[in-house]
Formats: sequence, structure tokens, C-alpha cells
Amino acid sequence: MFDIAPDHAIGLYVGLLALPLALIAIQLRRPRDVSGTVLGASVLMAISGGIHLGLVLTHRNETITAALFVMNGVAYLALSQLYSWPWWRPASAALITMTLFGYLGYIVLGFDTPDQVALATKLLELTALGLVLVPVAGERPWRRRRWGTLAVAVPLLTVVTISVAWIDALARPDTQHVHVGAVLQQTNEVATPEQEAAAKQLYDQTVVAIAPYGDWHKAWDAGFRPGGSQSLPSTHWMNQRNVDAAYVMDPKHPQGLVYANSKHGPVLLGAMFQMKNIGNFGPDPGGPLTAWHQHENICFTPIGFEFSLMTPTATCPLGAIDITASPMLHVWIVDNPGGPFAVDIDEKVVKRIDQS
Amino acid sequence: MIRVEAPSGRPEAAFVLLLLQSLFWLIAGLSAAPFVLGGEIHMAGLVVATLLLALGTCMLAIGVLWRRRRARGLAIALEVMCLFGTAILLLLPIGFNRGPVSLMVNVALPIALIVLLRKDGEAFA
Repeated sequence: MFDIAPDHAIGLYVGLLALPLALIAIQLRRPRDVSGTVLGASVLMAISGGIHLGLVLTHRNETITAALFVMNGVAYLALSQLYSWPWWRPASAALITMTLFGYLGYIVLGFDTPDQVALATKLLELTALGLVLVPVAGERPWRRRRWGTLAVAVPLLTVVTISVAWIDALARPDTQHVHVGAVLQQTNEVATPEQEAAAKQLYDQTVVAIAPYGDWHKAWDAGFRPGGSQSLPSTHWMNQRNVDAAYVMDPKHPQGLVYANSKHGPVLLGAMFQMKNIGNFGPDPGGPLTAWHQHENICFTPIGFEFSLMTPTATCPLGAIDITASPMLHVWIVDNPGGPFAVDIDEKVVKRIDQS
Repeated sequence: MIRVEAPSGRPEAAFVLLLLQSLFWLIAGLSAAPFVLGGEIHMAGLVVATLLLALGTCMLAIGVLWRRRRARGLAIALEVMCLFGTAILLLLPIGFNRGPVSLMVNVALPIALIVLLRKDGEAFA
């Protein structure tokens, strides 16, 4: 959802190319009796038309999709220039609405997955819809009906479009986004015997090295501090010295430890290695078994060190900022159904320990 | 033939953009609510603050539409703060999203609003 699909990038370029052309077209016609909102909608529809036509180039093998892109692009470009036509508003509103629903149908049916080009186009179309419907001062025709339609259509279509795209991206992540907000390191698909042995060695060394931290007081003495609320089922304890020293996958100097917050105090669940720089994945001795992951587009708030997810419109709650956490690798020393190096620990395991 | 120049529609265009911005904040506020249920108690305050911001932005949109000078001033102040915050986040090496949607929502939208709300011409004179 936060990437640009390679076959969609061309749409973005053609859309950007359409922007100056649309502005030149308006300058050449100099329509003095047309309001600014109509001209704004005209420009946005021209960009959207350009994006759709650009996508035809990379979807030539998908006959129906390519045909729909052609029809959509041509219709947008035509309407972007027909703003003096008496039926321009209903026709534009209908085209935008149909395009939005068509796209939602496409992703719900699994024909496409939301990406940055698609989401940007939808935002352009929603803005264009608002500009098409909004009556400017002094405009009489259909004034009340247009306000009514605007008040219902724009909020409803915005919420539905964003929600559907988000739910689809979370429910059907690609192979690199197996965990909410986490991007996995690219590896070979099946571990070789050498990789299995290397993963086991890393696991054994880590289990031995962090065993003393089963007593959380020793972890405290070593410089580990809780990095978030202890009212949650589990908490990462970070060691700033180890973070600053930039140890790379050193079992004796993990950057973090993970503790379950049980009734009887913290219970050690595992260790966390973390690289210093964003995008710099660490060594991967176990191949797919020890793939690192990087949490991207998460909303972090210093108030209580808590996290939520950034919305598809790149917005965080007030008081939280969008950050990316540098690559990390967990080693779970308790029995985790996802494996000893899984991105996350099973909630049921933590719950069982918390209640023990 | 005398041609009558149409109004710029700047307040109406600003209304549409502010309405969309308030919807983006509404979604951000609501999307953080499940994390409160998951035990992130401080997030509750952020949810309430974000929903209030969404409501306030929607009211500003209506104020701008009604040509209220105070609403215009507050909307400009809000957009300047958004731009300032985004500029800081873009400069810091924290992995702030630089995708097209982020740039549209966090940079282009506030700039467009500031341009639309400027005080020349017939719209806000």
C-alpha cells in the first residue's frame, strides 16, 4: 500500500505530464465565465485521465482492464475540457463515482492491490468530486441538491475508499508484508542445511547469552530499560549502550530484550537484535529462517511510548509521528508457534505466561 | 456582448480541501482506537484530540465557506503548522513516508489551502 507498483509508475509519470498540459489548455481558452472550482476539477480530471491512459501501457496483456483504463482515461480527458456543457456536473460526478466503485470492486475481487499510484489517483478523484459538486457564491442551478449530494457523497466515498483499501492491504499482504507494518528482508525461499545449522547456532548462542536476564534485575543492572507501557501483555526493554555501540547480531550484546508482563513480574521471552540504520538489513545466516524485518509507516507517540498504524492517507493521530524502525531480528526463547525467529510472538503464548 | 467574470470560488475550493483534511484526521483518530482496547491507554487521549481536531477543521471549513475572517486566519495558522511539522519530519532521519500520497496530503494540500485562503482578489477582501 505504501509502495509504488512497478507497473503503475508509468501512470504517475503520465499524470504529472498531464498537469502542465491541462493548465496550458485552460490558459489558451481563458474561460472567464467559469468558476475556479470548475477549472480546478477540470485539471484534476485531466491528471486522473492521464494516469489511467498511462496504465494502459503496462496492462496491454489484460484486455478487459486495459479497455476499462482507455474508456476511463478518455472519458476523464473529454470531461476535463467539456466544462461548459450543461450536463457537465452530473456526468463528471457519475464518472468519478463509478470509477471509485469500479476500483473498489477490483481490489475486493483481488484483481489489484492498492498502491501509492492508485491511492493518489483516488484522492485526486475525491477532490475533483468535491469541486464538481460545490456551488460557488451566486450560482443558482440545483444549489440545494448539490450541497446535499456533496455533504453525503464526499465523506461517504472518502471513508469507504480509504477503509476498503486499508482492510484489503491488511487482510491480503504480499509476501514481503507478512506482519502488520513490517517489511521482511528478501531471502531465498527454502533454507539450505547450512542455513538451518547457522540458525540453530545463533539460537543456541543467544539462549545461553541472555539466560542471566531471566532475572529482570540483572537486565536492569546491565542497562536494559522498558521501552513502553508495562500495562501491555509484553514490553521491549532496550539497552541504549548496545544500540549506540551498533553491535551486529551479537548474542552477548542484544539491543533489546522482550519480557511478558506477568502477575509476578517480567518473564523473559527473548532477545532482539537491531541494526542502527533504516533500510540496512543485518546478516542473514539462516536465510529465510532468520530474515530481519523493518517496521515502516507506524505512528509513534512519545506519550507513553505507544504505537498505532499510519492510515493510507499518510496521517497519524495528533501527537504521534510517522516513523520507520530500523531492521530487527527477534530470537524467542519460549516455545513460539511461529518459530524461534518469527517477526512476532504468538499472543496466546504471552497471555498464558502473563496469567501463569 | 458583455461577459460576466465568474467568481473564483476560492472559499468553496478551500472548503472542499478542509473537508477532506478533516476526514483524513477523523480516520486517523478512529484507526488508533483499537490500540486503546489493546492496552495502549495513552493512545485514548490522542484519539480524542484527533477527533476534536477533525471536528474543528470541519467547522473551519464551514467558517471559510461563510467568509468568516477568523476562520480564514485560523485555517491558515493550522496549515502553516502542518507544513512546519511536515518539514521537520522530512528533514529528520526517522523514515518519514515520502510517497506521493504523503506528499499530497502533508505538503501539497496545506500549500494549496494557504494559496486559496490568501487575501487578495474578491474572495476574502
